[in-house]
Amino acid sequence: MKIINTLKAAVCAAAVALPGAALADWQPDGPITLQVGFGAGGSTDTLARAVAAEMEENTGWDVVVENKPGGGGIAMFSQLVNARPDGLTMGMGVTIPTLINLAERGETLPFKADSFDYLATVAVAPLAVVAPADAPYDNIAELIAYSKENGGALVGFDGGEMRLMMQAINNTEGAGFELVNYQSGAEIIQGLLGGQLQAGWGAGAHIQYIESDDLKMLAVATQTRQAYAPDTTSFIEQGFPYSAEPYFYIAAPKGLDPEARDALASALDAAITSDALTELVGNVMQTTPTNLGADGTEAKLVNGLSEITSLIEAAGN
Amino acid sequence: MVDLATILAGLGDAFTLSNILFVLAGVVLGQFVGAMPGSSQEMTIAIAIPFTLVFTPLSAIGFLIGVNKGGLVGGAIPAILINMPGTPDASATALDGYPMTQKGKPIKALKMALYSSVTGDTFSDLVLITVAAPLAVVALKMGPVEIFALIIMAFALISGLIGGSVTKGIIATVFGLLISTVGLDPEHSTPRFLFGFPDLYSGFPISSVAIGSLAVSVIIARLANMSGGMRPALHIPRDQTADQKRVSLAEYLACRFVLLRGALIGVGIGIVPGIGSTAAAFMSYASTKQAAKDPESFGKGDIRGIAATESANSAVGGASLIPLLTLGIPGSVSAALLIGAFLIHGLQPGPLLFEQQGRLVYGLFGAMIIANACNLVFGLVGLRLWSRLITAPESIVFASGLVLCIVGVYLSTGGIFGVYVMLIFAALGMAMNALNYPVVIFVIAYFLGPRFELSLGQTATILRGDVTNLTNHPVAIVLLLMSAFSVFWLGIRPALKANKRKVSANSSDPLD
Repeated sequence: MKIINTLKAAVCAAAVALPGAALADWQPDGPITLQVGFGAGGSTDTLARAVAAEMEENTGWDVVVENKPGGGGIAMFSQLVNARPDGLTMGMGVTIPTLINLAERGETLPFKADSFDYLATVAVAPLAVVAPADAPYDNIAELIAYSKENGGALVGFDGGEMRLMMQAINNTEGAGFELVNYQSGAEIIQGLLGGQLQAGWGAGAHIQYIESDDLKMLAVATQTRQAYAPDTTSFIEQGFPYSAEPYFYIAAPKGLDPEARDALASALDAAITSDALTELVGNVMQTTPTNLGADGTEAKLVNGLSEITSLIEAAGN
Repeated sequence: MVDLATILAGLGDAFTLSNILFVLAGVVLGQFVGAMPGSSQEMTIAIAIPFTLVFTPLSAIGFLIGVNKGGLVGGAIPAILINMPGTPDASATALDGYPMTQKGKPIKALKMALYSSVTGDTFSDLVLITVAAPLAVVALKMGPVEIFALIIMAFALISGLIGGSVTKGIIATVFGLLISTVGLDPEHSTPRFLFGFPDLYSGFPISSVAIGSLAVSVIIARLANMSGGMRPALHIPRDQTADQKRVSLAEYLACRFVLLRGALIGVGIGIVPGIGSTAAAFMSYASTKQAAKDPESFGKGDIRGIAATESANSAVGGASLIPLLTLGIPGSVSAALLIGAFLIHGLQPGPLLFEQQGRLVYGLFGAMIIANACNLVFGLVGLRLWSRLITAPESIVFASGLVLCIVGVYLSTGGIFGVYVMLIFAALGMAMNALNYPVVIFVIAYFLGPRFELSLGQTATILRGDVTNLTNHPVAIVLLLMSAFSVFWLGIRPALKANKRKVSANSSDPLD
């Protein structure tokens, strides 16, 4: 009996220990593809390439970056959801564009918020509304007043959440903002400096223009203030109950082997928190890397849907 | 802005042996992939960026600049030799380059392409180095309304001048725009024309459309016409005089105005983001043909045609770095990739760039000059090799070209779907060629389509839906008037004249 008990214990111990052993041992049996839901050269692409390079160096795996741009990441995630959950395919996108699409046309998309295994976030974009340095308004309320006096103000944006927040203010305040769609933050800055826009949204590219005194801050869209502009208040502080914090995040198709999931998540975490990434995120986005971890990322996506839905209602869409 | 010591230190950094070797390696690689149908410098840069992480920033950026510049030169080689542009911007070069080859002067055509390309490139780099700051101010004033008007003008000029018929040119333009609406719309991301293919969310892949309709269609047509013999793809007469193989100084100088106009058009297009070198090449070709005393000689192997297109498409490169470095706006796919590489290597484009990173920026300028010199030297060596290569039997040349196209598209689009799309557009290209619809206009319209649609939406908002607000945008008005004028001048007037001639010819012979 004793022997049998010992055997039982051994079997149990082995069963418990095995995943642990495999966790350290999980190795991809081929190159890992990190698909990027945005075009080459943008901030998502730059971050993805840096994460991939850092992962390769840390783990010795091959990590290949592929661009699949379109629809704020929707094109890529629509294909990723059908990929094999073997740990060899991951995708990187941005939370808010994904959530807006899920909220506005979820029934037409081939995926839901819970169709993926979430692995990590890389950083959060420091969204803000900026204006030319010599503009006669310093915050959102003054911009609204200016817009009313002049029969509308042109505001440049390059993301759905930016459009929704401005439409919500148009609805509640009658601000009359005219919203001009751009492809990138850099082009919005061009519009501001060239005198085509009265205000515009920045997602990081604006910060050095604040430092060079070409542009000024009107409000930050994050819930808390941002480190580079500690005196600029948020929309919420200024009395407009809206906020947007787009996280760059990495997901894999649902059904990943838990060992693979843990191995990928920890490899990603090591890459994201590395010195090289800290320096790069500082260069590219003037902020620091933020990894919410696998569970934190899932919570952002799954819980974020209701926040976006209420913003869409406020915008009247 | 930047003191002389910084400039000299930066240039000094560039002119070290290791940097020169990195730039040379980039140029050689770039010319190779540019000349290989199906692969492009964009793809190569994308693949190479992670490998450059271990280089010093200047070596890495110099290498990538070398790849980019080499690719522009390399793309002209198959365009001239086998009428199959290696890169879309070389398709204009094929218009006169390939007829020169058919006349037995491939080496001369290749040399002229190389000289013109290096001339345009160097001019553009000098503009960048000396007057980037004032030109950046010009670029600022080119808002969405002006860009919209500029794209209209590009369409008007190109459809008026390429191919025989303005009507067919306009049909090809509209068809290209129609095809570019497949995928998510740029304004509200509504899916359009997907027919259940999620791969189409981002539209038809650009490389599939361009390579399929421009290159594969030509290959298949040539293979179909083959009669089984082991003919070489190209027969170069052995007993050529030196005159037929080289470009004399007098011939080069005779093209000086063509080259200058091409370089200026290239610089002008380069500082406006999103129009691109293909449109620049065609606009330069069109205006050179228009200005020539003997426009009918174009398309039949006129050396000025090569000078016009190659100087313009290469001049886009340097100038496109002006909005890139000062504002962070990429003017082309390769510029977008370079911006990513700049960021990875700690070069942050923007208003503080020259102050904070002056030394690295001038190092970059030094590397660009080195790359131009490498392009010239290696180009002269390489073109002999390339022109030998296509004296191989055409069954081998075209079959391997087809394989390269398939592999290149598979790699750049990330799957077999892109290859299917390429084959569909190859069939379409063949049909268009057979019916005399200009394929290149279709491709340019396809390239510019998304930009055109976005600018249209932006313009409607900025003008607040009222066309009379256009009076606040004088530059746009001038550009639109010029487009209307060129459609009339190039399209309607010659047709009216021809009609009149026909009518008078009929009435003068009443006895018939």
